Amino acid sequence: MAGKRQVKAKTSVVLKEVEDSTLREEYSIIGKPIPRVDARAKVTGEAKYAADIEAADMLWGAIKRSHHPHARILNIDTSKAERLPGVKAVTTGKDFGGFKWGWSRETRDEEPLAVKKVRYLYEGVAAVAAIDKDIAEEACELIEVEYEPLPGVFDPFEAMKEGAPLVHEDRPGNICVEYHWDFGDVEKAFAGSYLVREDTFQTPRMAKGYIEPPAVLAYWPDSTHLTVIPAKGSPYFPYRILSNCFNLPLSNVRIIQPFIGSDFGGTKNDMVSCDFAAPMLSKKSGKPVKIVYTQFDELTTCLRRHPMWITIKTGVTKDGRLKAIQTKVISDGGAYTRMSPLSNFLTGICMALPYQLPNFKTEMHCYFTNNPSSAAMRGHGIYHTRFAGDVQMDMIAEELGIDPVEMRLRNAIENPKPGKIYETINKLHLATCGVKECIERAAQGIQWEEKKKSERVKGNKAFGIGFGAGTYLSGTKLSGHNACAAMVRVCEDGSVNYITGASDVGQGSDTVMCAMVAEVLGIGLEDIDIKRVDSAHTPVDPGSYGSRVTVLAGEAAVNAAKDVKRVLLEVAAKEFGVKPEEMDIKNKKAFVKANPEMSIPWARLVRMACYTTPGMVIIGRGQSTRGVSTYGLADFTTGMGDIGTNYSFTAQAQEVEVDLETGVVKCTDNSVIAHDCGFPLNPPAVDTQVVGGAYHPGVGAALYCEFKMDKGLTLNPNLVDYKLPRAYEAPMTKVIHVITNDPFGPFGAKEASEGSTCSAPPAIINAIHDATGVWIKDLPAKPEKVFWALKEKREKEKR
Amino acid sequence: MKGEPKELKIKVNGKLYELKVKPKALLNDVLRDDLKLMGTKRGCLESICGVCTIIMDGKAVRSCSILALQANGHEVTTIEGLANGDKLHPIQEAFVNHGAIECGFCIPGRVMMAKALLDENPNPTREEVKLAMQGVLCADVGYVKQIEAVEIAAVKMRGGE
Amino acid sequence: MKDFEYFAPKTIEESLSLLSQYREEVKIIAGGQSMLVVMRQGLLAPEYVVDIKGINVLDYITFDEREGLRMGALTTHRTIEKSPIIKKYFEVLSEMEKNLATIQTRNWGTIGGNLCHGDPAGDPVPILIALDAKLKLKSLSGERIVIMEGFSKDILEVDLEPDEMLIEIQVPVPRSHTGVAHEKLMVMQGDAGIVGAAVSITLKPGDWVCEDTRIVISNAASVPLRVREAEKRLIGKVINGHLLAEAGEVASGEADPPLDVHASIEYRREMVKVFVRRAAIRALERAKKG
Repeated sequence: MAGKRQVKAKTSVVLKEVEDSTLREEYSIIGKPIPRVDARAKVTGEAKYAADIEAADMLWGAIKRSHHPHARILNIDTSKAERLPGVKAVTTGKDFGGFKWGWSRETRDEEPLAVKKVRYLYEGVAAVAAIDKDIAEEACELIEVEYEPLPGVFDPFEAMKEGAPLVHEDRPGNICVEYHWDFGDVEKAFAGSYLVREDTFQTPRMAKGYIEPPAVLAYWPDSTHLTVIPAKGSPYFPYRILSNCFNLPLSNVRIIQPFIGSDFGGTKNDMVSCDFAAPMLSKKSGKPVKIVYTQFDELTTCLRRHPMWITIKTGVTKDGRLKAIQTKVISDGGAYTRMSPLSNFLTGICMALPYQLPNFKTEMHCYFTNNPSSAAMRGHGIYHTRFAGDVQMDMIAEELGIDPVEMRLRNAIENPKPGKIYETINKLHLATCGVKECIERAAQGIQWEEKKKSERVKGNKAFGIGFGAGTYLSGTKLSGHNACAAMVRVCEDGSVNYITGASDVGQGSDTVMCAMVAEVLGIGLEDIDIKRVDSAHTPVDPGSYGSRVTVLAGEAAVNAAKDVKRVLLEVAAKEFGVKPEEMDIKNKKAFVKANPEMSIPWARLVRMACYTTPGMVIIGRGQSTRGVSTYGLADFTTGMGDIGTNYSFTAQAQEVEVDLETGVVKCTDNSVIAHDCGFPLNPPAVDTQVVGGAYHPGVGAALYCEFKMDKGLTLNPNLVDYKLPRAYEAPMTKVIHVITNDPFGPFGAKEASEGSTCSAPPAIINAIHDATGVWIKDLPAKPEKVFWALKEKREKEKR
Repeated sequence: MKGEPKELKIKVNGKLYELKVKPKALLNDVLRDDLKLMGTKRGCLESICGVCTIIMDGKAVRSCSILALQANGHEVTTIEGLANGDKLHPIQEAFVNHGAIECGFCIPGRVMMAKALLDENPNPTREEVKLAMQGVLCADVGYVKQIEAVEIAAVKMRGGE
Repeated sequence: MKDFEYFAPKTIEESLSLLSQYREEVKIIAGGQSMLVVMRQGLLAPEYVVDIKGINVLDYITFDEREGLRMGALTTHRTIEKSPIIKKYFEVLSEMEKNLATIQTRNWGTIGGNLCHGDPAGDPVPILIALDAKLKLKSLSGERIVIMEGFSKDILEVDLEPDEMLIEIQVPVPRSHTGVAHEKLMVMQGDAGIVGAAVSITLKPGDWVCEDTRIVISNAASVPLRVREAEKRLIGKVINGHLLAEAGEVASGEADPPLDVHASIEYRREMVKVFVRRAAIRALERAKKG
């Protein structure tokens, strides 16, 4: 994936006309608080998650795991396990006939269960199904595996050394993926800069953090049909992968999605051992097999956020305007490729957002190591370099004597006028960009002009305010895989089925899409029914990642609803002797626009359409095309092109309290996030998404969370020693909506919440600096780090 | 004899159950696997995440951290016992209406935690609400809406609006 | 978790019989908030488990102006936290309980279980040492009283014979002008302290000379550690900021802190200085009040 072509950036912004947004009319449902359609099921305990689902005659499965981080498997003897009473099936990697899978065709390097080699500690090597959990676990202990331990590499710096042990024999240098992009002329720009600064930052190895551990139930209705009920935020991944794995046509693979306890782009977006073991054990035993992971399994074997080392060099003019940025990114991809190509690509693709940037160069290297694999996590890729960029921006502002808010405003991309497009040096296209307004309103919200004059130190505590700006791609565009469709079926009594493959993993997409359908059809939210995704009945949708559901599945929903509306208006128009375009549907009535008394209630119109000539079944179909079209796809080799359909923007202002004696940093309730999601379709849901996105993965990274490793062993595999953020420390953040009405999102929408994941870490680190004068460049800013930094600063000042 | 099932008499959501359980069975196992009350979740099984929280004799406890037999003769309330037929408990209503629910996995445990708090202390300070919420982990809401929902429910339960 | 045989005695005598019968093979479970975790991890697999949670006679808090405080071993943390007696006479204990783990743990976990678990990072033991508490242990052969300070022997090891059970915690009435305070370093509310300190200071009224002091640090050695050299710096003197800093330094030198994922040895040493000082300042304020 390496490429070193230099691409000349255009010096002027390309302006293109786009369809003008007609999104400023009054809506009935959209844009107002919309109660979640699934809230009741969740709050009563009725909602069934994967671990809650049972089948008659069900067996329990358990995974046998390696106790070496890197070793050849010489032999696996399952005979004792097979003989244990109660054991009904045993499987090892060999059963899968050499099948390998990966995120893309070129990166299929992982086996369902390791066959010849294990590459990370606790990698699965076998699995057992038995009549109860205890027997399954006992049987696992009876499986005897002979290993030849191999030397391993446990961080990118070990992995990149000359002669280092190879994690994959066919991947020299342990390089998982590398990119080299070049836009404009950074050398010339640095030479002409008033100030050039280089700093290195570090982001931690993190857990996804969801509280529901992975779980799966699999069974074969007959020998050629497989049904799986997994905790997956993207059921279409297992759908395709299991179809390949078991040599079944897609039509015979049925993935039924239960309620999901969050995803965040981690394990629940991708396969793990239990997802293969359960179907295989079920095939061998002839019975349904259920496997439920523990949090220990999750925290020791499942996917993590890449730890990254980011060296960033920035040149600015005398008044602080960016001239060039050059980054060097090193990341730890863990044992298998997984999504590392995308994770690393994302660290660079949005570097020219949210500030104007005329020159950019980057080299990125991701290394294999004998650690559990790294993959996507909320704020995917972008958060790492946004953190580095926004903290360094404050460093530069300080050197130049410029206020940090002013610095950001000078550099912020202006919101394009309606009908115009802003193009970045690497050809990302923005129809809307509210970051300037976000920065202004965040600063106002925190009362920066007043507060910046106040005394920072109060006794043994110091208080400071920091800013961070974020951006996130919305409606990810990643090739044909991103096609998605929806159907709207109107029943004879006027009630509506909305049929989609899009996954609500808690972000509220089911609700917002039902709302969109109801809005387009002119009926009530209560008239729309949505079922869980079931690949036997619901059309393909790639799932919950890349902030794509509202924008892309939403587009499909709107198109499907429009299709139905068109059909019904034709029937109504005939009835009134007018043209369909002269009619509309609102408040459950179809009416002639020029003469609203000429109307027919929704239910009667539907009945008429269904029962009278021609008598029809009303099904509307819609697709999303924006996921692949408009401006074409991003090129991974050059770093050029749109990765998103549109882009959200965030600015965060956060106050922290630093205990000067201990280094403990706390967020105070002075916390404001201004978020441009185009148009908030469901404002309270957007609030929650923005707050949650900033706190859990953002503040978590900044202050609390990191996996500590020792030669492949996770030293803190529980949610207390790995400090998952809790309620008492959560700032009572206020959210401000900045509305820009993006023409490329349904009803003007863009994503909400991954942007705040990116704005939180720099806001916190900048706040610590504002309070104490120290810079913490490697996250998390744990008390000990802050303590030593403060001590060093005091000692420097004495000299 | 090792592992010999022993009698367990327990009242759950007002109904008396008599069953035999192995000594090592956790209360969480009995509620879910034997009584099929799946509303109480199984999370970390390490006494950390709190999604298994139920109310026993009026106090919030982690069902994963109590041997089932220790609940012998005690009264348990789970999330299933909260609503009154179709009518949601004010705490449930507040969570629904205030947007405090996302993936929902922590909600049963969190709602029970809130109920135990408000039953004991109908007029909690924000500090007290936060301390109660500290016992149940969430990964996506950011806690703000949940804290506010408990406060809203408290007002409602005291007869206010 | 491995299977075990289970008993739920209703009386102390019944429990003691079982302990006497099964000795090393038996484990008592009270609240189980610490024990069940290690059992589930497979680190503990007793053949017999004696569940004493139902022995209600061991759940009590009484106070007598002469005898002092008596707490039954099965008193839950939450009961201690909410007890008006504790709040009135030993406020340091109710403050400590507020920060101990989470409410669910405190509702079911017992003070006896906590003490017998022997966690060097635990909060109750250092305070009880500072309060000069004693423990009543019982077996079929009789009773013995041990001082709190001698009870913790090593990490997760306490002075309890296989056939013995903790019955009661006894805390004497503090002398007048004695103040006791506890502080611990938490990153999140409810965390085990990265380090902690419990300090008791007794002053001579009038000139405020320190007549007696006890300084106990937690998570800074293999057991809750009484730092006697640090104490010596305060006794017989009028305590000022300078002396407190000195005591902190000395305490830090006496500590033998662990290295773990939360902190280095050096940082813990530094924090011992801070927290001994912070606890001592509050103890001093309380002592002056009477």
